[in-house]
Amino acid sequence: MLRINLPSQKKTKITMPRTLAVTILLLGLIAFTLAIVYASSVPAFIGLGLTFWGIILLYVQNEAYTKDIILDATTTSLLTTLDQTLQELEYRGKAIYLPPKYLNNPEDAKAYIPKQKTGKLPTPEQTQSLETQPSSRNAQGMLITPPGAELTRLAEQTLGTLFTKTNLEYLQQNLPKLFIEDFEIATDFEIRPSQDKPPKTLDSSTDQIEQKHDTIYFKITAPAYRNTRKQAQQLPRIHANIGCPLTSAIACMIAKATGKPTILDTQQTSEDGQTTETEYRLLEEEPT
Amino acid sequence: MTLTLPLDFWDISLLLAITAIILLVTSEFLSPYYGKSNIKINKKRLKNAAITTAVLFLATVGIRIITIILNM
Repeated sequence: MLRINLPSQKKTKITMPRTLAVTILLLGLIAFTLAIVYASSVPAFIGLGLTFWGIILLYVQNEAYTKDIILDATTTSLLTTLDQTLQELEYRGKAIYLPPKYLNNPEDAKAYIPKQKTGKLPTPEQTQSLETQPSSRNAQGMLITPPGAELTRLAEQTLGTLFTKTNLEYLQQNLPKLFIEDFEIATDFEIRPSQDKPPKTLDSSTDQIEQKHDTIYFKITAPAYRNTRKQAQQLPRIHANIGCPLTSAIACMIAKATGKPTILDTQQTSEDGQTTETEYRLLEEEPT
Repeated sequence: MTLTLPLDFWDISLLLAITAIILLVTSEFLSPYYGKSNIKINKKRLKNAAITTAVLFLATVGIRIITIILNM
């Protein structure tokens, strides 16, 4: 289940659990009043206990939930459309998640997709001018709002900070709690630098964008989005490229926190779709 | 007719202790760290309520200890 903070509604819905909680609360108050009137300790215990539990039940149930199959049903078609659009427009490069200095609004999260597989990392000036164009694309590449952009914004709101003001250590310390306790979409979460892996050479690199890099390992076990992640494996422009909403959001966060362009290097999803392991690569910018 | 509260301080402390134990155990069982739970309640609020009740109980214990020390 994904916890969603809905805007506060003025009218309180009358539901079965709420009615039960109010009944317990009223019974407790009546029993406690009678206990005071008749100076009896047994109804006082019962009354105070019921009052406590009535208040607690009212306090803990005020939450809106949506079934995770709804998330899969609404997300998959959007990812398929994005994949088809990129295929038809023939954008073959690997999606590069851009840090704030490449964008006009540093709070935005954008990904740049080069036209060619061997496409180079654009300069900040190029992406900023690309942003102002109506279609956000030119002969070299296009800018898109990645699937995880809004999740990144939600994470910033929940944590009460901007990822641009943080670093990788902050992500390592705060993201597990955010995804497990606050969003309730993961049961296991791990993010760490993976420096032990030797850097790829130009020959072995699939996209040949850069030589120098650091890699960040990310693993999530999440029941939410499992069908989306399974189906995304069939979409060549999405799998290990733009990514599903979760891996895309992590890429946005890494790009913002490290200030470096980030790509999804490798990605593996378990057969049941619950566990995804991803390696992100931080691209070194060419000296100007 | 005089209205008196039929519970003393120690009774309320006992009630808080029982409530705190139940809430803390429930909160831990429903923790998202141990897998998906289908109970649709606000787990964060449940945890807060459990901790608050436990702190209140500990406060009553503290008051009791201070009273004993002062009466020695």
